[in-house]
Amino acid sequence: MHITFVKKILANGQPCQKCADVAKRLLDSGQMSQISETVIADERDPNSVGMQLAKQHNVSRAPFFIVYEDNKKDSAAKIYTVYFKFAKEILGRESSKSEQNKEILNDNPDLDFI
Amino acid sequence: MSTNQPQDIVKLALDSHDNIAISFSGAEDVVLIDIACNLAEDVRVFSLDTGRLHPETYQYIEKVRDYYGIEIELLSPNSQDLNQFVKQKGLYSFYADGHQECCAVRKIAPLRQHLADLDAWITGQRKDQSPTRSDVPQQQKDTAFSTTAHTVTKYNPLANWSAAQVWQYIRENDVPYNKLHDQGYNSIGCEPCTRAISPHQHERAGRWWWEESTKKECGLHMINVVET
Repeated sequence: MHITFVKKILANGQPCQKCADVAKRLLDSGQMSQISETVIADERDPNSVGMQLAKQHNVSRAPFFIVYEDNKKDSAAKIYTVYFKFAKEILGRESSKSEQNKEILNDNPDLDFI
Repeated sequence: MSTNQPQDIVKLALDSHDNIAISFSGAEDVVLIDIACNLAEDVRVFSLDTGRLHPETYQYIEKVRDYYGIEIELLSPNSQDLNQFVKQKGLYSFYADGHQECCAVRKIAPLRQHLADLDAWITGQRKDQSPTRSDVPQQQKDTAFSTTAHTVTKYNPLANWSAAQVWQYIRENDVPYNKLHDQGYNSIGCEPCTRAISPHQHERAGRWWWEESTKKECGLHMINVVET
């Protein structure tokens, strides 16, 4: 399996807060070792690897994960933009309800108006 | 679909689902209740009682209950989760590290639990409320709360209406409204996270005003991506 973790740098040069949160969760849980590579989607540089991967896979959110079943990337890619689904389906780690709820809100910022 | 009036969407929603409810925030989305009560007798309504609403909002919810003769189900946070959160973070942690964690406990968790038992819900979301709502459709699969085993449909009948149109409806139909609107409150949420704004400010300015907009932004600005 080959897993690419795509993190974002904002147009103002600051790191994406959510990307940092996800990276911390991967580190704290010891699962960063299962990530094959980490690349940057730099909004200031459309040619950055992460931005090109986002375009290639038609992804409009960050962070996201690209998963290939084999290391040669011959299989169809699975794209995950929701960390807890990625963690559950690929890493076999069930996120807590609290983590899931926070991520739902982060991914759907309009919900905080409800 | 985009040209349908809110009444058409509410009717479509009520006709399409038996197991459906209206989400009422205690603000101008009361319009949905008014429309629905003109179409059906057994309208189901719920509100998220975060425990931090203004007294005026609680009074208003009660007023709406009496005015329309409906039941309003108040969804409260899980007491154990809330106690743990408050014990660890206190009552005002959102001023220091953002509102997401508090909203997740007080809003998202009870909403998620409630929607697990519903097939559809109706919200007052409008495109003009916030940049994050600029593409809100009138009907959508709710990807946030649907699971592989259970699809939830979300209806946003007011999506294409402006705030002015909502208020025109409220005035023309003598719909009761939250007193806070007369005090400069445009968007009304929890008391610590809501403030009055001036007439020319966007309503988003009245909510979580201390947070940086960049921290709310998870999108990738694909417009910057060019062919190589």
